[in-house]
Amino acid sequence: MSIKAAPLRQKFFTTNVYILLAFMAAGAVFAFFRFFYGFGSVTNLNASYPFGIWIAFDVACGVALAAGGFTTSAIVEIFGREKYHSLVRPAVLTAFIGYFLVGLAVFFDLGKYYNIWHALVYWNGTSVLFEVAWCVMLYLTVLGIENIPAVVEQFKGNVHLPGQLASFNRPADWLLGKADVFCRRAMAFFIVLGVVLSFGHQSSLGTMMLVAPYKLHELWYTPLSPLLFLTSAVSVGLPMVIFEGTLAAKFFGRKPETELLGSIAKYIPYFLGTYLLLRMGDLAYRGVLPKAFDGSLQGWAFLLEFALFATPYFLLKRRSFRYDPTRLFLCACSVICAVVLNRFNVFLIGMDMGPARNYFPSVGEFSVTFAFIAFGVLLYKIGVNYLPILEEEHGTAHPAAVQAQPQPAVAAEMQSSAA
Amino acid sequence: MDISRRKFFKISAAAGGMAACAGVRPAQAREAIVPDPNWYGMLNDSALCIGCKACQSACKIENKLPMESSLGDDKQFGAPIYDSPRGLSEHTYTLIQLHQDDSGKPTFVKRQCMHCVDPACASACIVGALKKQPTGDVKYDAGMCMGCRYCMVACPYNVPQFEWHKAIPVISKCTLCNETRLKKNQPTACSTACPVGAITFGKREDLLRLAKQRIKEQPEVYLDHVYGETEVGGTNVLHLTKKNVSFASLGLPAFGHKGVAILTESIQHRVFQYFIPPIAIYSILGGVMYLNQKRKKNAGTLGGDDEY
Repeated sequence: MSIKAAPLRQKFFTTNVYILLAFMAAGAVFAFFRFFYGFGSVTNLNASYPFGIWIAFDVACGVALAAGGFTTSAIVEIFGREKYHSLVRPAVLTAFIGYFLVGLAVFFDLGKYYNIWHALVYWNGTSVLFEVAWCVMLYLTVLGIENIPAVVEQFKGNVHLPGQLASFNRPADWLLGKADVFCRRAMAFFIVLGVVLSFGHQSSLGTMMLVAPYKLHELWYTPLSPLLFLTSAVSVGLPMVIFEGTLAAKFFGRKPETELLGSIAKYIPYFLGTYLLLRMGDLAYRGVLPKAFDGSLQGWAFLLEFALFATPYFLLKRRSFRYDPTRLFLCACSVICAVVLNRFNVFLIGMDMGPARNYFPSVGEFSVTFAFIAFGVLLYKIGVNYLPILEEEHGTAHPAAVQAQPQPAVAAEMQSSAA
Repeated sequence: MDISRRKFFKISAAAGGMAACAGVRPAQAREAIVPDPNWYGMLNDSALCIGCKACQSACKIENKLPMESSLGDDKQFGAPIYDSPRGLSEHTYTLIQLHQDDSGKPTFVKRQCMHCVDPACASACIVGALKKQPTGDVKYDAGMCMGCRYCMVACPYNVPQFEWHKAIPVISKCTLCNETRLKKNQPTACSTACPVGAITFGKREDLLRLAKQRIKEQPEVYLDHVYGETEVGGTNVLHLTKKNVSFASLGLPAFGHKGVAILTESIQHRVFQYFIPPIAIYSILGGVMYLNQKRKKNAGTLGGDDEY
């Protein structure tokens, strides 16, 4: 590795950061009512739709969209594609932030949030959620460990705590030294473990709604659902890396990594192809394809989902699309939208509770979800600004000229309104 | 030793295939649960029910549940009335609903927890806060519950209700009067309150026999089917209906005879059977990683300044 990752060290409080903070403040207001006056004061949840967007987006989509971490580390570390090394750290940091937010979202969504530790103590092996909870928790730990090298690299032998805390400089440094040794020895174990745990809970999220055979629409109720969730999560991993890489380049005034992103994008059609093959095979085998064309909301939602999956599959096979930053970004967005819509379809739109049973997220629910996204973007900025995550670019750095508003939130809004 | 792209995908496909075989083949589905002869239950007879809602009131008194005013009747009458609720709620464990057939004749049906033989809620609950009891009821433990509401998703009858307007909400549903009455050898409050004997409390086996006897003795009155004998793997609360009124029209859909949670349990069981699938995937990936490390070592490219 000739080029080393380095902290960006840009001005922190830009206009964008204030926009993010504004989103978070709005979410915090609604969070106050949710915690002190109950779900009814904020959400549109009801007896027929006990799960809303806090589960469908924050948890189900959050986990899927954090798949960039395990797919990238598998490609680079396990399958030895050293060329894409510079993509691993940002992907693993984003995955860590993503899973941290998933945990936080679960905390918001639990009625008795202070009992969250019960999942550790009271085991119910028949519950799909039990497995999801354990895998997510373990994987968050693994992701934390996978991020240690960046911290060690930045601060080992370089701990300068301010004022009174200065006396902790040496113990902190000692701790970093130990962490360094630990990481060097055990990282391989955790990298493989991270991938296996991801396989576990990505697929189990697909099993979750199979517990409701009389509610979930036939287009999504299939015993193959866990495998479809896993393959679609693998498919969305690299598009997320491309999505974040492109936006980070834009907002931090860096040169876009067109060459590298375009090159790694060649794997996407293989993953998408596997998914589409399984999906089509399953629909054909169960003979439910006509349901997609019956003109119902679910039918249209399925067709849109399928189109969003299939289009980038064909387009990304072409070099001309992979090495064009705009086209590549749009293809990546298409896959992301497809996976988000798929999760919404399984958790909300496909849950047919009968006539006169409705759910549409309230302003409060949207606000809290946007606050989570804003928080995630802010954490990412803190991460790349103060830790060696992004590799120093090949050209000269432009000063960060940033004014547009946070893109992920806009993308999420697009999804949510599709629900 | 260079692993070509083709090979890379072959290995990926193999790993994926392993996961597939492990995860999605419910070949040996979990066996159905056989009802225990000691389980209690109730027989709700819609052919006898006159819709007086005495059971509803008795239930509220027994469980100390507040009155509801879903139609704004507290404004009309000056106070909320007992028979106001339109559906089950956190304040209403049981409810009499009216169905009018084409001729305009009313039929009443009692809504409540069915206390399934193979309860999906108990299978779904992450901490096991819902459990089938030796007495036959499905008991909810609020102290254990985290409030995730997965039981509400799992229940095919939408029975568990959530306290949407409380800061610390819990689930509420019919208890079959386990704590308050069963333990004192008393029948359920609703069955005691019924003035026409439309609700019978007893052991599930006896109730099933009674239901079949009623159908046999009055075939012109009853539809020849005991709802809950086999639906969703069987329920402890059974229903009878009039000959010309289908169960589906009363809000008791024609569900299959398999337990609702059998598929998810089978998949979970497959994935974690002796931990073979996870360990297999781990070994494959670990092996691939080892080979690649070895290849890099031989090529002299291993161990850059930031190898990870």
